[in-house]
Amino acid sequence: MNIYIYVYIIMCLICMYVFIIFMCVAAGGKFDYDLLVIGGGSGGLAVLKKLGQKVAVLDYVEPSVTKWDAQKYGWQIPQPVSHDWATLAESVQNYVKSLNWGHRVQLQDRKVKYMNMKGSLVDDHTVRCLSSRGKEVRVPGALEFGISSDDLFWLKETPGKTLVVGASYVGLECAGFLTGIGLEATVMVRSIALRGFDQQMSRLVTDYMQGYGTRFCWDCVPKKVEKLPSGLLQVTWTDSRTGQDHQDTFNSVLWAVGRAPETGTLNLQQVGVELDGDTRKVMVADDERTSVPNIYAIGDIAQLTPTAIHAGKLLARRLAGLSSQLMDYSNVPTTVFTPLEYGCVGLSEEEAERRYGKDKVEVYHAFYKPLEFTVAERELRQCYIKVVCERDGDQKVVGLHFTGPNAGEVTQGFALSLRCGLSYAQLRDSVGIHPTCAEELTKIYITKRSGLDATVTGC
Amino acid sequence: MADQPVSRYDLLVVGGGSGGLAGARRAAELGATAAVIESHKLGGTCVMWNASSHAEFLHDHADYGFEGACARFSWQSIKNKRDAYVSRLNQIYRNNLDKAKIHTIQGHARFTGDPEPTVEVSGRKYTASHILIATGGRPSTVSDEDVPGASLGITSDGFFELESCPKRSVIVGAGYIAVEMAGILSSLGSTTSLIIRQGGVLRNFDALISSNCTRELQNSGIDLWKNTQVRSVHKTDSGLKIVLATKDPEDKDVEEKTSSIEGVDCLLWAIGREPNTAGLNLGQMGVDLDSKGHIVVDEFQNTTRKGIYAVGDVCGKALLTPDEAIKSWGKSSVKTYTTSFTPMYHAITTRKTLCVMKLVCVGKEEKVVGLHMQGVGCDEMLQGFAVAIKMGATKADFDKTIAIHPTSSEELVTMR
Repeated sequence: MNIYIYVYIIMCLICMYVFIIFMCVAAGGKFDYDLLVIGGGSGGLAVLKKLGQKVAVLDYVEPSVTKWDAQKYGWQIPQPVSHDWATLAESVQNYVKSLNWGHRVQLQDRKVKYMNMKGSLVDDHTVRCLSSRGKEVRVPGALEFGISSDDLFWLKETPGKTLVVGASYVGLECAGFLTGIGLEATVMVRSIALRGFDQQMSRLVTDYMQGYGTRFCWDCVPKKVEKLPSGLLQVTWTDSRTGQDHQDTFNSVLWAVGRAPETGTLNLQQVGVELDGDTRKVMVADDERTSVPNIYAIGDIAQLTPTAIHAGKLLARRLAGLSSQLMDYSNVPTTVFTPLEYGCVGLSEEEAERRYGKDKVEVYHAFYKPLEFTVAERELRQCYIKVVCERDGDQKVVGLHFTGPNAGEVTQGFALSLRCGLSYAQLRDSVGIHPTCAEELTKIYITKRSGLDATVTGC
Repeated sequence: MADQPVSRYDLLVVGGGSGGLAGARRAAELGATAAVIESHKLGGTCVMWNASSHAEFLHDHADYGFEGACARFSWQSIKNKRDAYVSRLNQIYRNNLDKAKIHTIQGHARFTGDPEPTVEVSGRKYTASHILIATGGRPSTVSDEDVPGASLGITSDGFFELESCPKRSVIVGAGYIAVEMAGILSSLGSTTSLIIRQGGVLRNFDALISSNCTRELQNSGIDLWKNTQVRSVHKTDSGLKIVLATKDPEDKDVEEKTSSIEGVDCLLWAIGREPNTAGLNLGQMGVDLDSKGHIVVDEFQNTTRKGIYAVGDVCGKALLTPDEAIKSWGKSSVKTYTTSFTPMYHAITTRKTLCVMKLVCVGKEEKVVGLHMQGVGCDEMLQGFAVAIKMGATKADFDKTIAIHPTSSEELVTMR
């Protein structure tokens, strides 16, 4: 059941990346286009599909998978069942190509000119097209022997025993997927997993993964990667707790240490677009305007996806003079598609305590049991719900966290509720849909403060 | 009469289902003395649906690259686990009641003729200042007078006693229970027919759901008989023979067509549910019932007799009709948004199913008053949206919510 999520996540990573929009003021046909978009990722396409009058896009894609429970449900499957990588990879590639085709058709329908090349700024109203196929080196060290998540489904053979460097959601999702299709996967973590996410929830996610066979090297930093005569990759790393070096061999090394914004080849400084000193991200104001008046930036280059689409649409509407609505970056819901899925919206518990003070925050929580896990005798201990509220007044919900099956589907509606100003009382007042995991959110009543056992009993 | 000791409580609950247990536990928390009378078992479960979901996923495994995953299904295995799970739940409910010091009384309750409302169970009497009737419902049956041989069939209760997967099933009914039963049996390997009186299933749901579900049922391989009724049922050496009569309402001239299905080892009646009020002896209590036998209650769950209340399936429920919005607000004030798509799960499977969604909005601010959907994952999607709709969410609120990607639920916040 988790497999298809991993597959799609990888496909999205391939399709989504950064871009910049140029707005050429249409002053009597002075410019070739009204709007030129560099980058055909989610954000760019969202803008283009909104407008379409004398618009062009420069798009260049650089290419960077269970234990299932059926047997527990009474299905007798002759062993051994094996997974064929080639079948899966081919299906995914076909699907991605069809998606790309779908986007191309949509752009064509809206009369947007599509150019499959890289672009770079010459001045604030001119772009030069480059058609080189050079690979951008983003991660220092061993890139020649490693792959990125973008590359995973373009591998001809199975990745085999894999080392995933990085415990971001990309790293964890990849490792989880690889373990799920029967491969040996190890995650190397410099310090913490899922930085920026609620850390209690992050631990539940990694605990679950460890329980299901994904290995974790905590507090470890890779030192070097060498290719052995056998073709295997030998990785040397340092355990920062002990200072000791260790070694092991792998078939593949997957780098998931973060996504750096693609600003290198765009020639931004030349035209005066300012970047953040540390992250190299483009500095933007609330309305996505950069330091150059007619240049805007949305997506990974300035913010985290999947807000890119939304930001893109709103920007397009503002540029077309249809609205003045700005993008609201608070309460953006997310789901991490690890073996135990994690959906969340709003603040982490840590962030809420930082903002309001521990005394002013009430956390309701529960360890619940998904019905589909009980018969399957799956590990239940990490299926957990946490609702972070203001302690006073009607106890407004400021953060909602859920680990369990179908976390994405569960979280979306609650994200809407939070946007509408959900309070704890309103949550409890709702009638539950039975039997689902989502209904457990309407039944929580034990607070962390009380110290009582938060395990749900009964149906 | 005066000799027999009468146990007295603050709250007496007749029926140990969801409504009864919730009422009793809450009352006990508030300090009341309470007792629950139950003639069968406490609680229930739905793991069969999960088993059939696995069936569907197994069909798709080859598409996802899994080789050699052709499987056989063991009904006995899932039945044993399900029964064990239900027993555990029963025990949990029992423990919860014991912990709360609520008395559990096993047996069938009947109201007596005493002046103060009193209930008798196995010769002992019980009374309370407040009596809650929460006896729920039971599957409706057809009498052998109306349909000869009808009693050769089972109801949804009988489904849980089946020891093996029927080879040939015939389900009668068009409601959600009939549809769920047919779906489960079909995906677990039973050749299944569904007999419906009219042209579609789930007629009390939104038209979008009704038509999509009817179509999906047929696509999944269920043999659907529209405009058909069962005339008689006969026992033969090779199983049951079901005689059917089909009449297309559009065609006034055409005669009723008679057909039969033979070799049936499971006939399941899922034609509706009726309230469990007959055995309570309510006649002399002043508790009004409607024409179907449901207990009539006001918005506070009061019956027409002071001190007696009712909750749950035993009461009449207001049924939601699909065009209720139009009736309440007028056609020009109602705007609907719909979408249908193939969920991402099917991107690389040969087998496809459709997901359909509809929002019903009213007024200038487009307040969302109805949300209807069918498809993979809709069960888990709905809860959060239900909370928001109860809060008065508008279409604009939906649109301002960022989508979670990739999910099916995101389609609800990106509709145009």
